[in-house]
Amino acid sequence: MAIAKAERLMNLALCLLGTRRPLSKRELRDSIEAYVEAFGPGNGTTGSDDSFNRMFERDKDDLRELGLVIETVESLDGEIGYMARRDSNRLPPITLDAEEAAALGLAAKVWQQARLAGAASGALQKLRAAGLPEDVDPYGSHGALEPRIPVHEAAFEPLMLACRDRRPVAFDYRKATAAHPEQRHVEPWALECWRGHWYLAGWDRDRGAERVFRLSRITGKVRSRGGRYTADVPDVVTVRETVASWAGEVADRSARIRLRAGAGYPLRAKATSVRELGDGWDELEIPYGHGLDAWLVEFGPDVVVLEPAELRADVVDRLRAVAKG
Amino acid sequence: MAGKPVRPVNAIDQTRRMLSLVTYLKERPGARVEDVARAFGISEDELVSDLDVLPMCGTSFRGGDLLDIDTDGERIWWHNPAALAAEAAEPLRLAADEATALLVAARAVSTLPGLRESDRQALLRATAKVETAAGEAAGASSRLSVTFESEGGVFADVDRAIAERRRLWIRYYSPARDEVTEREIDPIRLVSVGHTYVEAWCRRSEARRTFRLDRVAEIKILDEPSAPPEIELRDLSEALVQPAAEDPEVVIEVGPGGRWVAEYYPHDSADELPDGGLRITLRTPDPASLRRLALRLGREGRIVSPPELADSARQAAREALAAYDGMEAARTAGVAEDVRGPHAVRVVPDGPGEGPA
Repeated sequence: MAIAKAERLMNLALCLLGTRRPLSKRELRDSIEAYVEAFGPGNGTTGSDDSFNRMFERDKDDLRELGLVIETVESLDGEIGYMARRDSNRLPPITLDAEEAAALGLAAKVWQQARLAGAASGALQKLRAAGLPEDVDPYGSHGALEPRIPVHEAAFEPLMLACRDRRPVAFDYRKATAAHPEQRHVEPWALECWRGHWYLAGWDRDRGAERVFRLSRITGKVRSRGGRYTADVPDVVTVRETVASWAGEVADRSARIRLRAGAGYPLRAKATSVRELGDGWDELEIPYGHGLDAWLVEFGPDVVVLEPAELRADVVDRLRAVAKG
Repeated sequence: MAGKPVRPVNAIDQTRRMLSLVTYLKERPGARVEDVARAFGISEDELVSDLDVLPMCGTSFRGGDLLDIDTDGERIWWHNPAALAAEAAEPLRLAADEATALLVAARAVSTLPGLRESDRQALLRATAKVETAAGEAAGASSRLSVTFESEGGVFADVDRAIAERRRLWIRYYSPARDEVTEREIDPIRLVSVGHTYVEAWCRRSEARRTFRLDRVAEIKILDEPSAPPEIELRDLSEALVQPAAEDPEVVIEVGPGGRWVAEYYPHDSADELPDGGLRITLRTPDPASLRRLALRLGREGRIVSPPELADSARQAAREALAAYDGMEAARTAGVAEDVRGPHAVRVVPDGPGEGPA
């Protein structure tokens, strides 16, 4: 049976961490059982060298992914050696009290995305090894608070890595009202989760402007593109403001409506004024932003728009479409 | 099934864990399997599988000194801790993804408006310390952010009621019926998935219910003790609302502008239509609750079945329109001020050209 990958990676990590001098590829190949078993001793003459080299490169990348800083050192006789120096791999001293530890413990559990869930537990385990207190858990007593960060979108992981590594991407994107997806070329800046949905902000190369994309509208694969960013990355990326304006959260005007008494609680909760008319109806003043017409139509005959006329016309238009349907 | 979801073995996660494990075990001879598994947030089985791998590991280029670690199932013994030089057993710095995962989550949790202030302070202190310790690795964490939404006051009351095991009285808004109802609930837990919810035993319906905090119009903590029956907690990672197989089926056809329905409503299927729209099939215990959706869709979609639902949406739209007809007429007649509401207007059934389909 082939030796498990975790065992091979663990041995490579311990060799690189334990050494006081750079180890050559040959030394590593000869001392790690998994390499010997798969490729035989490194005598430099067999065709297995290429496959060993590929595996060795992948293994080093995997170890770097989990945080190991591996140095490549060239010796006087031109041979390449590898080592993971203690001073560049040691966690700086960190002291956390029991309350702080419990708070981090709660935070580490919120990811519902495999890669980040694994990374968060890994971070906590490293802190645990560094002495993070483990006895008190104020939430454990009743387990009341269970925040979860949902990640259902397939595009999340490739975009997260692209944001991290500042790599341009291309993907097919279907706008909310478009019949067919269209390819977009984007320099990704940041991802933000708002009300349970993920959004990407970045530079849209085709439009030559900043754009926000909703991840659930990306169809197919996110593909990496070579090259550097062409636009400056802003210090502060404001995804939420953009999305809030789509959602009608940004109101610049106000509207006057009539609402049947007892109906439309959320409209009342948003109203700036409510006046009882005494005939089974109330008159409300509510903020008027994008999307208000669609929302008001949901209340059917319990809402009558008084003004502005433009909003009233939009609502009537929508109602007519349903009445004919 | 309750409990931890079974995770597939991921070699990177396992390697990361084993590196921390050797550091941890080196200082704790005879550590209990149970305690170590808890400290590492893994099952005892996962820990035992790590302990199976570790004796195959070592810094073997120096001559075969493998880690001699074993367990009797209860305690863990390391017979040659010197096999691992002190410097190879020091805690490792955080990787970029680790710092990102932990810091983004910590910042998100600290935005929960209902979080107890002492817990928030602890979290903020911890976040600052982790940022410092992570150094450069913390940089990429600014490229990811999460905001939880919840109603602060309601959250605090629910949290307190759970801690003190007391019953709650709420006035709760149900969008499906557009009504506010009073209920007494025995809260079980708070869940934040985008919005924040309380899962509770509803005394009115004698059933488990999930309430969204931003729909709680009013809340009071009662003196009665909370006594929810022992129920199995569901894994809420997929969806909070899980329709039952026996629920009636609803079929909706939407145009391109109505595709968002598939993003917001859990559904069984969404088939592409030639015009770029979708034919969506979903199940709900109460199809009448979808009348709002039918009204909202307007020209962007229609209910295919059940026909009663389509009829009720059409009827509601006609009633609503009647109010405007009256208003326009009244305005024309110069008596707009007298129009107080649709009650003054007779609903004209089936106007010209608008008969039932």
